[in-house]
Amino acid sequence: MRVWRLILLVFALLLSDVIAYAQNRNNLIAAKDEFILLIDLRSSKAEMDTILKRAGMPGLSASKIQKGDFYHIYKEGWKMIQNNGKVVQFKKPITINHDNAPSKPFLITTDLIKTEGIPGYPGEVSYGVNKFSRVTVDELPSGITRFFLPGNTDARKVMLSGSFNTWSLTKTSMLKTDSGWISDVKLQPGIYAYKFIVNGRWMSDKYNLLHEEDGYNGTNSIYYRYNYTFQLAGYNNAKKVSVAGSFNKWNANEIPLVKNGKSWRAEIYLNDGMFTYRFMVDGNWITDPANTKKVTDEKGVATSVINLGETINFSLKGYADAKKVCVAGSFNGWKPNQLFLKRVNNEWVLPVTMAAGNYQYKFIADNKWITDPSNNCYAVSDGITNSFISVGANHTFRLKGYNNAQTVRIAGDFNNWDPEQYTMGRKGDEWVISMRFKPGKHHYKYIVDGNWIIDPGNKLWEPNQQGTNNSIIWVDK
Amino acid sequence: MRNLYIYVIILLLSAGIRQSTYAMDGKIGGIYFPQAYDDPDPDPQGDFKTLVIPIKRAGNLIIVEAKVDSVAGNFVLDTGAPHLVLNATYFRDMPPIMNQESGGINGEVSNTFTTEVTNFSIFDLYYKRLKADVTDLSAIENGRNIKILGLLGTRLFSKFAITVDVIQNVMYIHKLDEDGFIPASELIYHNPFLKTTFKLMNDVIFLKGSVNKNTTWFAFDTGAETNLLDYRRSKKILPVMEVQSTSTLTGVGGSTFQVLTAKFDNLIIGDQAFMKNRVMVTNLDNIGKAYGHSVDGILGYDFFIRGIFTINFVKKEFEMYTYK
Repeated sequence: MRVWRLILLVFALLLSDVIAYAQNRNNLIAAKDEFILLIDLRSSKAEMDTILKRAGMPGLSASKIQKGDFYHIYKEGWKMIQNNGKVVQFKKPITINHDNAPSKPFLITTDLIKTEGIPGYPGEVSYGVNKFSRVTVDELPSGITRFFLPGNTDARKVMLSGSFNTWSLTKTSMLKTDSGWISDVKLQPGIYAYKFIVNGRWMSDKYNLLHEEDGYNGTNSIYYRYNYTFQLAGYNNAKKVSVAGSFNKWNANEIPLVKNGKSWRAEIYLNDGMFTYRFMVDGNWITDPANTKKVTDEKGVATSVINLGETINFSLKGYADAKKVCVAGSFNGWKPNQLFLKRVNNEWVLPVTMAAGNYQYKFIADNKWITDPSNNCYAVSDGITNSFISVGANHTFRLKGYNNAQTVRIAGDFNNWDPEQYTMGRKGDEWVISMRFKPGKHHYKYIVDGNWIIDPGNKLWEPNQQGTNNSIIWVDK
Repeated sequence: MRNLYIYVIILLLSAGIRQSTYAMDGKIGGIYFPQAYDDPDPDPQGDFKTLVIPIKRAGNLIIVEAKVDSVAGNFVLDTGAPHLVLNATYFRDMPPIMNQESGGINGEVSNTFTTEVTNFSIFDLYYKRLKADVTDLSAIENGRNIKILGLLGTRLFSKFAITVDVIQNVMYIHKLDEDGFIPASELIYHNPFLKTTFKLMNDVIFLKGSVNKNTTWFAFDTGAETNLLDYRRSKKILPVMEVQSTSTLTGVGGSTFQVLTAKFDNLIIGDQAFMKNRVMVTNLDNIGKAYGHSVDGILGYDFFIRGIFTINFVKKEFEMYTYK
């Protein structure tokens, strides 16, 4: 009797499905310890992909199945129970009654519900210009950034929370003034998200016209800490001056320069990198007369150039007889004849400005590729050992002792745990390597002459799936 | 003779209570007693009537900032945890005060121990001394990329009512009057659309509900990022389920287990019906052991997102309000 009731229920569900999806009868049902999978062979490829994914077979070829090739479905343990040429039914036992599911719901759901990135931390942008209806965030002459919440003078407590203080709810109190609340924060150039917390309640900055969704029904205000000033002297009679460049896709209507005494000025946040730009003065493009660095494109148009980043002084001792020495690396696409070193005081030298990042490089002395003899940190790429340098490094790993070790390497989630890639250099009584990481948590281990160890100098570690442990670091924005 | 029966019953009951007080681990009448403390933590202090606390979010978790001594950081509001839990990554050097053998789940809680923290605070709410379990919470950190110092379990709020609004991202901790109610002048929300009592078993909230007219006991767990249903129970209350997806995950000791995602209508909590409920179906035996009581299902994010909710731990009442 119960079996009949169940069959009726399945039938009713399928019928409701037929009504709902008149053109598509794909479905997956769990009943009586069995999955029942219905595949409508007339489904579109997208519909077919959806039902295969639902049934836990995401990689299967829809077209093969539509042609009646069910080999891979059988291979996944399904048995055909009906095939009328249009709709095929399969079944498979449900094997869920194992007592090995974890003891906390989050151990199930954090694996199943994937979240991307870190909410509240805006991604990198090439440039940024603030937009306020009333300026509430500004730089003081000291370089400190002052946040201002106008009014709310009846509030008992106001806090400032944002990507610059790991969205702390307690670290940054605001100070009451006669016209509102202020807080001074030291910021590096970049993009930041923030909110005020007034008497325990979140509040975005209503005077800041730049904002992004916080992912949780609200918006975060966005502020750029500037690091670059465009300046054009003269042109006293001009009516309108703006700047545009490769950073903003040459949009001349976006960044106006404001007349300030005898020159025009615009402040901006610019990320590291090389950019071309021009000024537009009353509708006419001009290059920056104060900038000697210019390039001419294939159409013969000249543009000014800025190159922002950290300057690395490459140097190679010896090779006195070499005719030419170049440096090439991942920072210039490994182009060998682009960055030529100059012979100064018995060594070859070249300052190169680079954006923050981790790079591999080699010198090329008269067509012979060599690693940098003054740098004992190495990285392997495609089986080739190169010198390794981190520009704007935000963490230095140090392993004390192990004086007799031949090689000490480091591997972690940042390089897919490749034990061969990064070799640490010996400095004094330590093995050292500096790297630049994205903000967030990173797992790693050292490999001393082939033996994996956690970092004895780091108290933070956690168990891993292998039953051993991994060291961890947190990198702040 | 009747008196003798009563005497025997009282004797057995008191023996049971005594056993539960001193037992380190055991099972009495289907209820696990994973841990029993005979030295209760002192009551928390705070100069407020209603404490307004901003909350943060990570995935579907509710994050509250708290301070252990001078270390401030993120904690998950976890009504599925009986008390304070600290992440071993940052607190493994705390002095253990007793061995923890709770649940007895192989390979998962073997490194758990109990410690005592002093000077714990959630904004203006101050706990002079608190017992806490120290265990590995790296799964939350790695899944959500947020530093997590621990979990705030129910016992921290046992003298209070809490209200959580996950749209405004704010939480209220209410001091209660002598009768255990939020004083009328402090009420923030009125006219709940759902009001029901709950049972607190081993400090876990159990709400009685029904699914397709089958009585079902749900744990209310803010640490659950979805609703969950025990597979065996699901076969009785949802004999035919339309499955949205199937997944195989790594479970205890590296073994695998299967999870189905389904949707169902006709969930009734109190006298309120909830439709289109997403639920993950798997074996909840180990979760039941951790709760200290077997569990049919768990109401998590998919449920508590339906409204602003208030849990009164003294009156053992659960209320839900429409978002403003």
